[in-house]
Amino acid sequence: MNVSRPQTPSQTAGPFLHIGMIPSTNTLIQPLPPGEPITLHGTIFDAEAAPVTDALIEMWHPEAGWVRSATDGEGAWQLAATRPATAPFVNLWIIARGINTPLQTRLYFPDTDWQSDPAMAHIPEARHATLVASQATTGAYRLDIRLGGEAETVFFDLKGEDT
Amino acid sequence: MTPLDWTRHPPALTPGYFSSLTRSPREGLIPLDPTEAELTGPVFGTQDIGEMDADLIHNAASPDAMAIGPRILVHGRVLDETGRGVPDALLEIWQANAGGRYRHARDGYLAPLDPDFSGFGRVLTDEDGGYRFDTVMPGAYPFPNGPNAWRPAHIHFSVFGWAFAQRLVTQMYFEGDPMIRHCPIVATLPSAEAVDALTARYDPDHDRPMDARAFRFDIVLRGRRATPMET
Repeated sequence: MNVSRPQTPSQTAGPFLHIGMIPSTNTLIQPLPPGEPITLHGTIFDAEAAPVTDALIEMWHPEAGWVRSATDGEGAWQLAATRPATAPFVNLWIIARGINTPLQTRLYFPDTDWQSDPAMAHIPEARHATLVASQATTGAYRLDIRLGGEAETVFFDLKGEDT
Repeated sequence: MTPLDWTRHPPALTPGYFSSLTRSPREGLIPLDPTEAELTGPVFGTQDIGEMDADLIHNAASPDAMAIGPRILVHGRVLDETGRGVPDALLEIWQANAGGRYRHARDGYLAPLDPDFSGFGRVLTDEDGGYRFDTVMPGAYPFPNGPNAWRPAHIHFSVFGWAFAQRLVTQMYFEGDPMIRHCPIVATLPSAEAVDALTARYDPDHDRPMDARAFRFDIVLRGRRATPMET
């Protein structure tokens, strides 16, 4: 591959990301793909188990759609999406004050064959549980995210295809 | 898709920036082979852009009023790593006002709010990856990070390319600002070249004479769009 331009570096979103990303009017919305509606929710904790109240989380999967949520005063987030028809997971992407480069992770659905997903082969078995949601009620899945400390969530570094 | 270039992006733990201490994973990132779920992403278009979104001088102002501060325009291109423009990239923008105050419930800095400025903007790149918006020069402001820490003037950017793996959040600084070299957040960057890449250049060729100064800021997203197969 003929690389000629180096990547633009990341910088933290800071504590005021809501101004640009969760504006009070003119909200950025994508239509959801057809299928089974689900809700995903959880809390983001820092390395000292304190809730992260100024984070933003985005979810994407081509079968699930794109949605985002800011965390509230308790560090809680909630997303309404479509259950992926074939994949056992959706991608999650997290930014906040103190996060220098965005964090990429996944939510796996407990009622799938998530153990055989190729990504799991690279993850120590003791850490698998940090990626697997629990089913709260029908169609509602919970996953807490820990940026550090005990049971730190698995975060990914996407590799190149042929480099 | 190309990997993230860690000679360019800041690491998670940067002790000089105190907020990173409790918000930095320590276990190491797990390598992930890209799948369709990372190589695709949401598609945005002109329907997602309000008529006034790229005019921060007027988009929160009362009729016949304007935001207070030095008038500037910011322009550039969103590119992939081969230098090709990325069309229909969505840029979300936010910034402090000319006094260094954000319109945000959690910003308690004593500089005043500007009733005619919100600091919100949004713009979509054209077919060549080009973008432009009008705003006022943001002010520097102090932040809690030791006895005396200040942010240089900056504008926040969130960028969507064509793939979710390209999601970028960054900040743009201004050429010649003496605050840049004192900022603990700028100092999270791994090299002087990385700082330079976030520093917009004064671009007099694109000034609007007797109106606004121009600053140029190009944004390079990881990867390249696949070349269509020849048959």
